[in-house]
Amino acid sequence: MKGKERLHGILNTLGVYVLVLALFAVGCLLSQEFFTEKNLLNTLGAVALLGIVAVGVAFVTYSQHYLDLSIPGIMALSGIIAVSALPYGFMASLTAGIAVGVTIGLVNGLVVGYLRLNPIIWTLAMMSVLSGVIRKVYAGRQVYPDEATAAGRAFLDLYHTEIFGWLPLPIALLAFIAAAGTVIMWKSGFGARLKLTGSSYEVARMTGVHVPRTVMTAFVICSVSSSIAGILLTSFNRVGAQYIGKGYDFDAITAVVIGGMTLTGGRGSVPGVVGGVIVIALLNNIMSLVKIGDFTIGSFEKTIIQGAIFILVVGINSYVQRTSGLDDA
Amino acid sequence: MNDIGIALELKGVSKSYPGTLAVDRVDLAVRTGEVHALIGENGAGKSTLMKIIAGSFDDYTGEVFVGSKNIQLHTPAAARAVGIAMIHQELSLAAPLNIAENILAGRLPARRGIVDRGLMLKDARRWMGLVGLANLDPLTAVETISPHEAQLVEIAKALANRPCILVMDEPTSALSREEVQHLFTVIRRLRRDGLAIIYISHHLPEILEIADRVTVMRDGRKVGTHSIPDVSELQLAEMMIGGAVSDLYAKRRMQPFEERFVVKGITRYGFFHDVSFSIRAGEILGLAGLSGSGRSELARSLCGIDPMDKGSIALSGKPLRFRNYGHAVSEGVVYVPEDRKAQGIALRLSVRENALSAIIPRHSLHGIYSAARGSNLLQGLLRQLEIVPPDPKRIAGTLSGGNQQKVLLAKWFATQPEVLVLDEPTRGVDVGAKVLIHKAIAEIADSGKCVLLISSDLPELVGLSDRIIVMCKGHVIGEMDKARATETSVLLAANGERGALSA
Amino acid sequence: MCKERRAWMMRDDRLTSLAYRGRVYILLLLIVGVMTAIAPNFVTAGNFANILKAAGINLLAGIGFTIVMISGQLDLSIGSAMTMGGMMVVGLEPELGWVGSFSVAILCGVVLGLVNGFLVARTKVNSFIVTLGTMIIVQNAVFLYCRGGTIPASTFELSDWFQRAIAAGMTPQIMLPFIVMGVLAAFLRFTPTGKGFSLVGGNQQTAWYAGLNVQRYLIGAFVLSAILSTLGGAIIAMSEAGANPTMGDSSLMTIVAAVIIGGTSMRGGRGSLTGTTIALVALAALINGLSCRGEGFEVQLMASGLVLASIILYDAYTEHRREMRRGRKPDLLKELRMLSQ
Repeated sequence: MKGKERLHGILNTLGVYVLVLALFAVGCLLSQEFFTEKNLLNTLGAVALLGIVAVGVAFVTYSQHYLDLSIPGIMALSGIIAVSALPYGFMASLTAGIAVGVTIGLVNGLVVGYLRLNPIIWTLAMMSVLSGVIRKVYAGRQVYPDEATAAGRAFLDLYHTEIFGWLPLPIALLAFIAAAGTVIMWKSGFGARLKLTGSSYEVARMTGVHVPRTVMTAFVICSVSSSIAGILLTSFNRVGAQYIGKGYDFDAITAVVIGGMTLTGGRGSVPGVVGGVIVIALLNNIMSLVKIGDFTIGSFEKTIIQGAIFILVVGINSYVQRTSGLDDA
Repeated sequence: MNDIGIALELKGVSKSYPGTLAVDRVDLAVRTGEVHALIGENGAGKSTLMKIIAGSFDDYTGEVFVGSKNIQLHTPAAARAVGIAMIHQELSLAAPLNIAENILAGRLPARRGIVDRGLMLKDARRWMGLVGLANLDPLTAVETISPHEAQLVEIAKALANRPCILVMDEPTSALSREEVQHLFTVIRRLRRDGLAIIYISHHLPEILEIADRVTVMRDGRKVGTHSIPDVSELQLAEMMIGGAVSDLYAKRRMQPFEERFVVKGITRYGFFHDVSFSIRAGEILGLAGLSGSGRSELARSLCGIDPMDKGSIALSGKPLRFRNYGHAVSEGVVYVPEDRKAQGIALRLSVRENALSAIIPRHSLHGIYSAARGSNLLQGLLRQLEIVPPDPKRIAGTLSGGNQQKVLLAKWFATQPEVLVLDEPTRGVDVGAKVLIHKAIAEIADSGKCVLLISSDLPELVGLSDRIIVMCKGHVIGEMDKARATETSVLLAANGERGALSA
Repeated sequence: MCKERRAWMMRDDRLTSLAYRGRVYILLLLIVGVMTAIAPNFVTAGNFANILKAAGINLLAGIGFTIVMISGQLDLSIGSAMTMGGMMVVGLEPELGWVGSFSVAILCGVVLGLVNGFLVARTKVNSFIVTLGTMIIVQNAVFLYCRGGTIPASTFELSDWFQRAIAAGMTPQIMLPFIVMGVLAAFLRFTPTGKGFSLVGGNQQTAWYAGLNVQRYLIGAFVLSAILSTLGGAIIAMSEAGANPTMGDSSLMTIVAAVIIGGTSMRGGRGSLTGTTIALVALAALINGLSCRGEGFEVQLMASGLVLASIILYDAYTEHRREMRRGRKPDLLKELRMLSQ
């Protein structure tokens, strides 16, 4: 009995990787260009940034708070602030960018954790506020890192940095964050408390868990990951702008859900989320390579397909859980 | 009083789930104008039988007769149509709506498409009067009334459907003794009016008080039906368990040790006032009182879950001021809540995760938590409390009520507390599990710890406690030692009768 | 324990609960009052019509959202439904004529509502998730349709009719949403079917046991919401003689703010269409007043944000107070008061 349940658990986590392999096969079949170094590296790059964000989101979802809709704003603002702080030096720039994430995470965590506000509505509001702030402060201008300065050049090179000469920084960061996330979620006291909070807020409170603080930590983890991704994305785009991060909130939650995490909290895993990210990146990549005569899949169509997949996955998830008797909302 | 007509008859009714036969060829006959009790341990099949009667299943076998007509009870609508009304254990009112809207839910009186408010209020008042709620305003929001009043609203709602058969599932779990008496008055009135009432309860003394006949179930089968005057509590218990019950309460060794947990003058405005008492090491202190006397509120404030406005607490001489509940738990003062589903255990997590959830810091080193460190402790607890099935990976929500309660207790026993505060530890638990739990509590006390026992189950309170303090309307009015404490004297004292107390 | 805290705790809170329920009206009075004082040209008949027009833009979608919330769910797709309605009506008019394109637009709304409702009611997926997905899908589909650009109407006759003042500056564009709102508010409050929504939102199980067809109500709520949002967008497009793809973008936030400020509970079962309406008018007045003073868009955004924030904080505070007070015994308090004298 124990062995069977263990297998079940492993299948749950790794099931998404089966999907990854399947998509890989489809990709190879569908297009010549798929299995080229250039294409795969591009895809990997997309995976890295989304992955960093998705791991952060996973913590918020795990705690039963669905997701953080202010992520695009955090990403954009972190990038913009980082670029604006370049005159003070490269390290100052990075610190400032991450500080943005920490601050917003604390605010979000405070409101949702201590004041118990609906997380969807609050983060939606926060997103609007961030949008407004960016618009007001930068009045639609875009900020460019100054190539003439050393700090500016360092910033522009950031995304393309390679560790040990061959490992791109974003991928290395993803690996590190994913590993750290896995350890935190599965093997730390905080992770166990987060799981309890995600399963039942009230029970966690009556167990002596400091629920507001736990929730706040989850939100900070999410915002800091978003900050990091935002700074990298800004470096890649070579400009700090309002549209940086657009769409990441939806992509991240889709990845989280495909990776096996349920939106009602207390279930799922970081490796699963990473798998979900890979699925999405592969899907996007395959869709852009599809050429049937003149017909190509544009970005709008891709998003529509992704939206449909998102609903499908959540629906199946929900159905499976209902029929297997585990009552999930 | 008894109109000898059969209101409801079940013949050879069975229902199986994949893997188990929950109800096995049960015969049941309920007369009009009678209160017919249904008792049995958890898993005996009572709930399933009731669900069949309420029309929740369309795949039962056997025959059901309502007033001599053979009926197919395949849907709740069918059950309602023949006059069966059910009052569930978990209240099913819509909280934001008012009383009238709840009672008349789905049948709001309307004239030409518009809701007739006057008629709605009149109708609502009529049903409320029948259950003794005439003094409430029908427009009060249900979320603001007490659980007792809410339950009466439930009953009013059921009555508004003009049923001839009323099924009540554990109606008194959340009530104080006086509220139970009020409920019994209502039930007796309904019985006089010819209603057939099926009354499910774990509480044997109550059944002896209110029922006319009782049917005992065990392992899905009917063991027997008896007239109440012909049986005693002990006989009923034995029929439920299927063997002789030697002693319903664990024996204890008395240890007159020193005062360990001292509480002085604690007050929370509006909840309790100037409460002082102490618990000796190895002592079980019972806390008696009617519902509303402030016992749970007192317990929660003691443990730092709710704030305290005045007063002091000391453990082994060390004064304690809890910043929050987590702080209290780390100091060894823990509270086991009465609502196991909403506050006690996380139903979606496994037995192991629940049982070890209160001692996460203990098994963590530098933030790294390893549940495996607690596996010996867990095995011991599973064994001691005889949790069935003894599988740590089992999801808590799939266990029976009694086993869930055991998991809840295991969780707090695992903290090895200095002061264990129990709030209704055997509510909704069958007799066999009760004995085990009482034994475990006694063992904890015997190991030198302090136990504060809050219970509305008078035999349990009197049987387990070394001393009993009595709360009434937010004050502690006195205490009773073991010799003086009997169910009757405790009851009188809880009602404010100070003569019943010890000197 | 200091005396002040004790007095505060024992205070009678009947007055506070009254203020709590009528807070939208208080807010409206406050904003109008402040704006009258500090904004030039605020108190003119024409400006009054402007405020109502601004409120009316989001009114229909706001009503739809309120109904969905009363039923205990969320509908994030209202913004994109508005844009879709506008686009369909203007885009298809050259081929189908106004009646034809209008019908198609509403039909699209019905389909969207059915999809949302079906997914939430049958597969029991959380409504936030479902409508997030449909919002993304509709948003992108609309962008595909118009290729990212504005679509102008081919004639101005219809928009002239919509913008023609009938009485006291009221135009059909302004009046239509309010009329629809009135009808629906009466339906919800005074008919048994309408009250069913509150029951479904208050406790689904109870509603089911009471014989209500819960699935039908849920689907109905989402269909209503989609139709109303689509209708709202169509009216705007017809009045302004054109549709642009960012029409409904800021609506979601404004509507959510208005619904919460207006007193609809996020947990379902309790809500008020009039509350949402008054809140929308109040917010519109706030923004209008600020622009009369010459403040830019950003300040308006921040002001709305501040109002929302204060209401939310006030809500959290009263909820906390209520939690602390729950189960308090008035007899005990009376006794203490007597003792301290």
